[in-house]
Amino acid sequence: MNVLAAGTSAYHWTPPDAFREWVRAHKSRAAEEKLVSEQEAVARCVADGDYVAYDFSSLTRGPQALVREIIRQRRRHLWICAEFTLHETTLLVGAGCADRIDVGFLGYGDYIGRAVAEGRVRVCEWTNGALAYRMLAGARGIPFMPMRSLVGTDTFLRSGAKVVEDPFGGDPICLVPALHPDVFLVHVHQADVYGNARIFGTTLFALEAAIASKKVIVSTEEIVDPLEFRTDPAKTTIPHFLVSAVVHLPYGAYPGGVPGRYELDLEHVQRLNTLETDGQVQEYLDSFVFGVRSHAEFLERKVGWTRLADVMRRAAIKEGYR
Amino acid sequence: MERTAASTDTERMICVAARQLEDRTTVFVGWGIPQVVALLAERLHAPHLTQIFEFGAIGPQSLTPFVRGTMGGASNVYRSLQWTTMNWAFSYAAAGYLDTGMIGALQVDAYGNVNSTLLGGTYERPGRRFPGSGGGNEVASLCWKTIVVLKHEPRRFVERLDFMTSPGYLTGPGAREAAGLPRGTGPYRVVTSKALFGFDAESKRMVLLGVQRGCAADQVIRGMGFAPLVAEKVETLEPPTAEELAILRQEIDPGRIIIGRPGE
Repeated sequence: MNVLAAGTSAYHWTPPDAFREWVRAHKSRAAEEKLVSEQEAVARCVADGDYVAYDFSSLTRGPQALVREIIRQRRRHLWICAEFTLHETTLLVGAGCADRIDVGFLGYGDYIGRAVAEGRVRVCEWTNGALAYRMLAGARGIPFMPMRSLVGTDTFLRSGAKVVEDPFGGDPICLVPALHPDVFLVHVHQADVYGNARIFGTTLFALEAAIASKKVIVSTEEIVDPLEFRTDPAKTTIPHFLVSAVVHLPYGAYPGGVPGRYELDLEHVQRLNTLETDGQVQEYLDSFVFGVRSHAEFLERKVGWTRLADVMRRAAIKEGYR
Repeated sequence: MERTAASTDTERMICVAARQLEDRTTVFVGWGIPQVVALLAERLHAPHLTQIFEFGAIGPQSLTPFVRGTMGGASNVYRSLQWTTMNWAFSYAAAGYLDTGMIGALQVDAYGNVNSTLLGGTYERPGRRFPGSGGGNEVASLCWKTIVVLKHEPRRFVERLDFMTSPGYLTGPGAREAAGLPRGTGPYRVVTSKALFGFDAESKRMVLLGVQRGCAADQVIRGMGFAPLVAEKVETLEPPTAEELAILRQEIDPGRIIIGRPGE
């Protein structure tokens, strides 16, 4: 195919057959119990240098407890897929865990912006749509995906996409490389011990990323009986054979919310959004991440029952979330 | 009763933008101000507007007061027609089902190209770094008509963008199609707190269509980094009506987080 234009950015890519072989060798298709602690899930599934993706956003059903555990275990040189990411990139970069970010939407707050401007973290430019299409290509087991957006812009030039001549129609068409994250983190409403999982509400690319990733950690608000899935199979978001580990983490999206369960804690989110200096970020990390040994301890000592009851009380809308 | 004459810049911008949305159409709604614009249009002249959020909420009837920040929260995606995924939301746009898209901007140029990535410096060492495209590039690429909403600061209207995040008409007539963007799409309106712009059918350059009552055309254009074309008859944009302000202030944003307060 004739390449008409190419972006200059590095991109994470695995040949489709290499991924298939990885799945065959490493992703168990057996329905086996995968319920572990967050410490064990992260220790086993997240390595230095890994490419890490997650779903949905920092404020809605984000895997915040798992991100804090990754920071506690001080992973290094992570490459983050930043789709709808707000404050967790601040924490990951501030803690020295991440040094490369694929940007769909990169947070707010001065800290992360300055980290990019000062070259402390490298960014690769994409769009939310391009990252979602890349994940879809990974899930389809194909090397790339054609798409109609991204082209014509500086975003394209700073991405890893290419424009080729459409072999069918002859017009220029943009191709984005398939994405196979090393790890996908997803926080769900319900899961069983095997990893079957349900999300109520929208997702960015939960199923696509679970298929496309080498390792998948599901953290869940509730553990349910496996029969739950077979009695209402249309509601299964992720089947067990895509999943590497299941962690029971109630309030695992805190300080964000889980629709139908609890709302975000605006006060805590504001505190994160206003972190500007290195000192402020380190102070936050010392208190809320390194200052506790587990998510349970975080909830007990740093959040407390009164606050949890309040965020639960505010989630009064239940329709669609059961 | 508050005097309706005293409206904020943001309220004027939101009201003009809302009036651009037609009933019984589909609109791709970006985060923040576009959400408020779509809500206002829906409460007034466009009750059958179908809003699409990029993370897969299709046709929500968002509850008010509007909850800022958490676009995916239960009250924002309330009573949607469909909850799906980002890939399907963008597919609706890519396949031609979305009439209008609405996005914000740090900078815009004469062809309606948009920057939301960085200001100043170089790409490697930007003066200030911002969130980047998000889904803005998809909205500007794929919807039939794009509306850009931004505060009226002349320095935001530049001859050359610091970074082109999302496509307008690129370098002029035919450039979008040559780049591979869908035929017949492109920026339609640029709405600011002082003015309304469109695009010339031939040259694809920005045209001043209207100015807020009390503003003069030359006053609006002064300081802009490029000279927009000026329509033969520049329309006077009416300030927000009492009804528009009541809905904005009492229903949508009683905390005045987005719309601000007169005199601020």
